[in-house]
Amino acid sequence: MSTGTRVAGRSLPRIDAPGKVTGSAVYAADFALPGMLYGKVFRSAEPHARLVRVDTARAAAMPGVRAVITAADAADVRYGAAVKDEPVFAPDVVRYVGQPLAAVAAVSLEAAEAALAAIEAVYEPRPPVLDLAAALAPAAPLVHEGWRSYTAIPILQRDGNVCNRARIVVGDVERGWVEAAHVFEHRFTTAMVHQGYTEPRAAVAAWDSSGQVTVWSNTQLPFDVQATLADILAIAPSKVRIIVPGVGGGFGGKLRIGVEHFAALLARKSGRPVKVMTTSEEELTAAYPRQGTVIELKTGVTRDGRLTARQGRIYFDTGAFAGSGPGVASVATMVLAGPYRTPNLHLEGYAVYTNKTNCGSYRAPSGPQANFAVESQMDIIADALGIDPLELRLRNIVHEGDEGPTGQVLTAVGLEECLRRAADAIGWPDRRPGPGRGKGLAIGWWTTTGGSSGVYVKINPDGSVTLSTGAVEIGTAALTGAAQVLAEALGVDLADITVISGDTASTPFDFGAQGSRTAFAVGNACRAAAAELERKLFELAAAHLKTTGDTLELRDKHVVGPGGRVSLAELARQSQVAGGGMIAHGTFIAPGTAYDTKRVEGHVYPAFHSPSFHAHAVDLSVDAETGEVTIHKYVVAQDVGFALNPIYIEGQIEGGVAQGLGQTLSEEIVYRDGRVLNANLTDYKMPTTLDVPRIESILVAHPGRVGPFGAKGVGEPPNIEPPAAVANAIAAAVGARITSLPITAEKIVLGHPGGATGGAR
Amino acid sequence: MARIPITLTINRELHEALIEPDRTLLDVLRTDLGLTGTKTNCLDAECGVCTVLVDGLAVNSCLYLAVVAQGRAITTIEGLASTGEGLAPAGTLHPLQEAFVEHGAVQCGYCIPGMILSAKAYLDDHPRPTEAQIREALAGNLCRCTGYQKIVDAVLAAASRMATGAVTS
Amino acid sequence: MSRFEYHQPESLADAVDLAARFGDRASFLAGGTDLIVQIERGRAAPRHVIGLGRVPGLTGVEVGERGITLGACVTHRVIEQTPALAGPLRCLVEGAEVIGGHQVRNVATVGGNLANASPAADLVPCLVALDGAVTLVGPGGERKLPIERFLLGPNRTARRPEELMIRVGLSTLPPRAATAFLKAGRRRAMEISVVCVAARLVLDSSFERCLEARVVLGAVAPTVVRAHAAEGLLEGQPVGGESFRRAAEAAQESCRPIDDVRASARFRQHLVGVLVRRALDRCVERARRAA
Repeated sequence: MSTGTRVAGRSLPRIDAPGKVTGSAVYAADFALPGMLYGKVFRSAEPHARLVRVDTARAAAMPGVRAVITAADAADVRYGAAVKDEPVFAPDVVRYVGQPLAAVAAVSLEAAEAALAAIEAVYEPRPPVLDLAAALAPAAPLVHEGWRSYTAIPILQRDGNVCNRARIVVGDVERGWVEAAHVFEHRFTTAMVHQGYTEPRAAVAAWDSSGQVTVWSNTQLPFDVQATLADILAIAPSKVRIIVPGVGGGFGGKLRIGVEHFAALLARKSGRPVKVMTTSEEELTAAYPRQGTVIELKTGVTRDGRLTARQGRIYFDTGAFAGSGPGVASVATMVLAGPYRTPNLHLEGYAVYTNKTNCGSYRAPSGPQANFAVESQMDIIADALGIDPLELRLRNIVHEGDEGPTGQVLTAVGLEECLRRAADAIGWPDRRPGPGRGKGLAIGWWTTTGGSSGVYVKINPDGSVTLSTGAVEIGTAALTGAAQVLAEALGVDLADITVISGDTASTPFDFGAQGSRTAFAVGNACRAAAAELERKLFELAAAHLKTTGDTLELRDKHVVGPGGRVSLAELARQSQVAGGGMIAHGTFIAPGTAYDTKRVEGHVYPAFHSPSFHAHAVDLSVDAETGEVTIHKYVVAQDVGFALNPIYIEGQIEGGVAQGLGQTLSEEIVYRDGRVLNANLTDYKMPTTLDVPRIESILVAHPGRVGPFGAKGVGEPPNIEPPAAVANAIAAAVGARITSLPITAEKIVLGHPGGATGGAR
Repeated sequence: MARIPITLTINRELHEALIEPDRTLLDVLRTDLGLTGTKTNCLDAECGVCTVLVDGLAVNSCLYLAVVAQGRAITTIEGLASTGEGLAPAGTLHPLQEAFVEHGAVQCGYCIPGMILSAKAYLDDHPRPTEAQIREALAGNLCRCTGYQKIVDAVLAAASRMATGAVTS
Repeated sequence: MSRFEYHQPESLADAVDLAARFGDRASFLAGGTDLIVQIERGRAAPRHVIGLGRVPGLTGVEVGERGITLGACVTHRVIEQTPALAGPLRCLVEGAEVIGGHQVRNVATVGGNLANASPAADLVPCLVALDGAVTLVGPGGERKLPIERFLLGPNRTARRPEELMIRVGLSTLPPRAATAFLKAGRRRAMEISVVCVAARLVLDSSFERCLEARVVLGAVAPTVVRAHAAEGLLEGQPVGGESFRRAAEAAQESCRPIDDVRASARFRQHLVGVLVRRALDRCVERARRAA
């Protein structure tokens, strides 16, 4: 904890805890309105087909059915974050099993389900593009024949089944190979995985008599959904109000429109409020999971292990629609570079269409996949050269003032401290403490996403403070952290602050709960608002205390001067009576990070803002006969800049590692012939209490220049390093180098087909 | 089959409902009785967010017929805080609820009602559990946010308090 | 509109009457953790559900000199917590305590588990290792069937629609006997077994030689597998080492696993070898320790 702060930096209980532990907190899945209908979506049974027709007549006539909608009821609009390629309902071509074709609203869930069963779709199947290899083959069938006609972010490099190719080029890798004593080439693969939030996506939509629709939803980006929904409904965004009552986990899977459009369209057609909620099956077949990847990585090193060049290609199987693919492919190139000094780079990220569910953003998108490749290969290199893996990293990591891969100047670089402390805590260099037992390290870096945030802060006549923010609390306690920053600035306690959040009509704009940005950006917006409030309070107080502004300070819920003090409550009361109330608007947008534009192409994310640095270390044993992995100790050292609320930052680390271990050891969405085989929680295996070890968190603080008190984004990074750290430890333990996620017991015992693909020259 | 009248004893209160016999306890709680503290998700006994106590035993209410719950004492998360009948004033949190707040065990909170009830059922039978026993007891409650660590810490702390101090419910 | 009519008989006779009346249009409801899922998913559509919660005589556990009786509605939790089942009979507890979470174990019954006839059911190999037999009651009276003849295939049993399973009978164990149950899966809880093994050994007075063996495999065939060949290689042989290795190999040959989303057939076969050997070792260790 930093000295000199009173509220910010303390492990205070989160503001919304009482509602959550008593069951009184309302989530979108709990929300209901009188007279509400239940909506269900009819989905494609074919991965790729011409849709001949969808017959809904029988469904519409069934008892209790109040509305049926198809493509004919939705505007001929396509939406999408990077490429506007996705329709509400497939109008003519179906592109994945699970794609929405129609929807019904009925008086009960049972009646809606019965109506779905009465809908008939007729398909003319086409050969599906089942995987990356099929999509990238010469003369591959096109998933989107009309790809050229789609509106897309101008800088994207699109071509056929590739909906973006992002590239970083630095120096000349050919020269790097010449300078290298050894060149290593490896191929890695990772599976599609789901965010696994425990609350399904849900929305309740209701139209009022003025033609405005209000949608209560568990989206992470209410303003983004507002804009998308307005397009789909063909009305002005101001006629769309998104309210977020509560979110039961998001992790990126609830960023984009999910069920809000079905609810709104059904509500418009039926004239009644409509609730739509996903099932586990829909989540595992038609949501926004993390892309599966293929990664080809070629790295050159000198005899003493200094990196001379790296060439990398990461292919994202982004499914039937671009979704977040183009952006994720861009970020991936930054992760492929890693926090290392490498003079020559040629890094590419490809987002590729296939006939599977479109993929999106999942906590540190591209991070775990690309890091798995980079950090696994670093260990392979270390072992081949006979250099200790810790030492190899220390020889190559970036330091204060170094350049990042796109030329940004790196500051507040806490990487070496993270690496040394993590290694120390795991008992390095005793890398193989016993038979079947090994330790592994992995390091990485990540960004704090920009985007603007606004807040209103109001001081009430009872002395309480209301913080109104368009941001959404998804569970990280980011809004508690922002409130702590506000309390610090105003000289009040956290308990004095009430947060109102997530209403596009009444709370100011926020770029959304994504990219580890909320506490950072909302916190800074609070500081701006607090500064304005201070000015107003001092102005009012000066008259009271008969003194000028420079001698005043905010302390103990008062304005304090040399001759006396006056309470914020009293000043707020006066302001309310005579001045319209004590309220201020605060805004924040992170300054851009300078980088070399000549180094990038097709790149949606060419710099990491206020970057964080982290190191993971794990000590585990492998039962060589069964392949079962037992983790003895897991350590994370993360440079958080400034820990706004340490206990919840630990919570982010512990939860992020747990998700990371799931991706590493047990989770995968399995497709065969374009269909998901395990669309249920029995066979989509998330870690239980018995699968997650205790995790030791070391919070390292190299304060940045931008975040509140130097804080950096903390939520995403813990997801990044577990796959590589565990893969490295398993290799140390039993000599099995698994280059494919998940690292299942079967792969450890029997070897993965293709095994540790790669080698050295 | 026509609807049948049932009476459910929930948190020591009688609730009457007219329901089809194929309705689950989870659905009746949330839809008919407005008790949304018990959560819905997988409907497959895989995640535990729907956990309630029936005669003190934790069950997945998503697969428990409401008709079968008749004549049994059902406890939901709404019934944990003090009602004011005992020593503690109304609204006093149960030691488990307090411990979850104090130990940073709550993130998104969606798994928490089920998690607290599973823990309560276990602690009521095993007042001095080890960490391993707590993890076994909570293995049927998935949490995606916390990695379970602070939940386990909270349960250990609550157990300690409950074993030594006065318990309100 | 309810999908089914619900009945709550208060005697065994009434329960059997209802089953006789409705035949295959009815299902019995014990814990519900299989039946309700299947109804919700549309995989089962009984028009009548006969709840067993008020039928007396189905929830007893008796451990006597002549045998062990588990009422059909005995829950997994009760099995876990019955001290008399914790000694040499321990495989029962080990098989019961790994299914689902405690929410499932609190209501799921041994009879329901048998009636559901999942090829991967964990408790079933343990019951078979103890020579388990089910007693069925119908309009025509009672009949008893060894479990291996009761289970016919995935989700198929020899129960006639008008019959109710009322109890499972198991053998007691002679002196110097021990049991063990092991399973393999992708995570440590809430797991449908990739492979599971129950073993029972009776040792001679020197604790060096095996007199009797049962080796029972789950999740590696359409129903539970008694590895007779493995058992034959164990009986009369010294324990440990070579004979256990040969028995494990024989067990591998006796299973017919499939490739599915959980594991490949090849990996399952490999695990059978490992788990059989380990289960046998554990039995020896336990028998010796109990002495």
